[in-house]
Amino acid sequence: METDRKDGRTPNQLRPLKCSRNILHRAHGSASWSQGETKVLAAVYGPKAGTKKNEDPEKACIEVIWKPKTGQIGKAEKECEMIMKKTIQSICLLTINPNTTTSVIVQVVNDDGALLPCAINAACAALVDAGIPLKHLAVAICCCVAEDGSVVLDPTKLEEQQMRGFAYLVFPNSALSALPEGSSLVNGEPLEHGIITSVTHGVMSVDEYLKCVDRGRAACAKLSSFLRNSLQKSQFPSDMSSKAA
Amino acid sequence: MDSRLANTWRLTVNEKKFIETALASDLRIDGRKPLEYRKLTINFGREDGSADVQLGHTHVMGFVSSQLVQPYRERPNEGTMSIFTEFSPMADPSFELGRPGESAIELGRIIDRGLRESRAVDMESLCVLAGKLVWAIRIDLHILDNGGNLVDAANVAALAALLTFRRPECSLGGDNGQEVVVHPPEVKDPLPLIVHHLPIAVTFGFFSTEYTMVVDPTHSEEAVMGGRMTVTVNASGDICAIQKAGGVGVPQSEIMRCLRLASDKAESITKNIKDAVEAFNTERMLRKIKRHSTAVAANVSIENDVKGQKDKLTAQRVNELSMSQMERLKLKPDESSISQNDGLGSEIRSSDQISNQRAEGNAPLFLGGPSSWDPHTQGVDPDFLKASLAAQGKSNPKAEQSSEDSDDDVAMQEKEVSEDVKPPSLATDSSETVEEQKTSIVKKTLKDAVKPKNRRRKKTRS
Repeated sequence: METDRKDGRTPNQLRPLKCSRNILHRAHGSASWSQGETKVLAAVYGPKAGTKKNEDPEKACIEVIWKPKTGQIGKAEKECEMIMKKTIQSICLLTINPNTTTSVIVQVVNDDGALLPCAINAACAALVDAGIPLKHLAVAICCCVAEDGSVVLDPTKLEEQQMRGFAYLVFPNSALSALPEGSSLVNGEPLEHGIITSVTHGVMSVDEYLKCVDRGRAACAKLSSFLRNSLQKSQFPSDMSSKAA
Repeated sequence: MDSRLANTWRLTVNEKKFIETALASDLRIDGRKPLEYRKLTINFGREDGSADVQLGHTHVMGFVSSQLVQPYRERPNEGTMSIFTEFSPMADPSFELGRPGESAIELGRIIDRGLRESRAVDMESLCVLAGKLVWAIRIDLHILDNGGNLVDAANVAALAALLTFRRPECSLGGDNGQEVVVHPPEVKDPLPLIVHHLPIAVTFGFFSTEYTMVVDPTHSEEAVMGGRMTVTVNASGDICAIQKAGGVGVPQSEIMRCLRLASDKAESITKNIKDAVEAFNTERMLRKIKRHSTAVAANVSIENDVKGQKDKLTAQRVNELSMSQMERLKLKPDESSISQNDGLGSEIRSSDQISNQRAEGNAPLFLGGPSSWDPHTQGVDPDFLKASLAAQGKSNPKAEQSSEDSDDDVAMQEKEVSEDVKPPSLATDSSETVEEQKTSIVKKTLKDAVKPKNRRRKKTRS
């Protein structure tokens, strides 16, 4: 079913993606990620000595700070922080640097729908920029279910509000590996088929949710290759010379 | 976390000595002269009232928002303005979440004094219903990167955001004229704020050795210097505020010298801000131009019929394509960045993003094109186009490129966009080299549209 979207995209079309790394000078790693008009800036400082009180000192601790564009930090921001923290914890190799804290600071520059997936993508790129050891990368996408049951990818803010329900899904990035194919399978399925995080809002049936997951996973393949390509390209010479203490 | 002390950054004794010795010979560690200001870059976001300022390595973002509230009792017919400064932990490892530290509060107060007490923003025009409803302006300043001299950068960010902010228009209605109707931006154009003058903050750093003074200290210099002074002055030489909180004693003559220097700097910075705001306003107006029923559409529609597409959509898209192309031609001084494009728009996007927001405004129109791009850009045969355009009487051998050229020309005439990089090339007499470049650029960008990087084909299964 072709729903006529306002900006003329098909239901499976993502907004233009932009990713740039190493944009801040004091932070150990930084990245900005934008999907259409939604833009998020992420910075990573790490690893710092010591963990928080209730955290396990045998492992590294991840701290996420979410900064909204305007206004006080409320419950919604705390929820986003918690979701991001759990997501990042599952992709980091926590046992390499025990008893340390890595801080990820996320600043919302503009919110035009699919904010949390955008933030997760930005945080992932920033972690790579900082050189934090990761198991694999993560890509996030937002799929929503329209009134007529069709699945639409990467909605804008207006679309999100009109939809019946939407789901933020985070998948592992497909790893380029020299190992043979079979070794990266988990229970017979390739690694990319697993869901790291799934947050849903609104009402949707089980079938619709599974449809979302399918579409999202397929779209994430494209996102993965974009992320990988943009991370592999060389830094601008100006950034190299200006990277001070 | 008690081990925070282990994380604080301290300047080494060697670095301290080096900075001071270099200053004795009028040299600064980043190559500037003592009285030289760093490069100021002002960018704007897509929305009204969001500014992004970079002063050397210092990066500050400012957002302005408005809300209808009850006024203060003592001032029933004036709006209110409040400034919130966020020293984000992103900017410096020593910035922590939670209650703002001393420097954060001081920064907020300096900017607040400069704007409020000098009556830079007109508060009375923000009154809607005296005593009941006024507009409250809220300025949020996010410090993203601490490269030194946060006050100046944050001040510029606040001013730039205020100048580009638009508040919704509201009118009184209802039975007794007491109800306020706020018009959404689609119904009525939002109004800008009335800003009388621009108070610019200029910071000076004083060192304990021989009354050396620098303007616009960097982060390392701030760690070394003995005292600082911030002067808020506007372009007409009025002093709005002076802040010198402790530190080394400075003789009167030095202070007077600083004030004069500050006036000079304020003029150039004011000009900088005004130019940037001008450019943003022009671009904002261009964005508002509706592109359906123009001569351009008529021109393009001939090709459309040949291609068999819907007129309106393609006209729009081709206009926007040509517009974005022209933007790209203007913005990219080196074509090499385009030639490196291996089909991934990401490289171009990232370089644009840092430099100019305008490309972002147009690039999405281009890349996120509608599904009508899908069948035809793949299927259009250059020979077919050639034949069709030859039939129109265009004597240009390069068919594809000429169609783009004609769009460019008419689009240019329509919008009166000033070309400084490439002269407006009429389809008939343009130089070969320009056409060559345009062809190569056009070919690349159309191929971008074809490559399904950001578009997903419908899966045949589900």
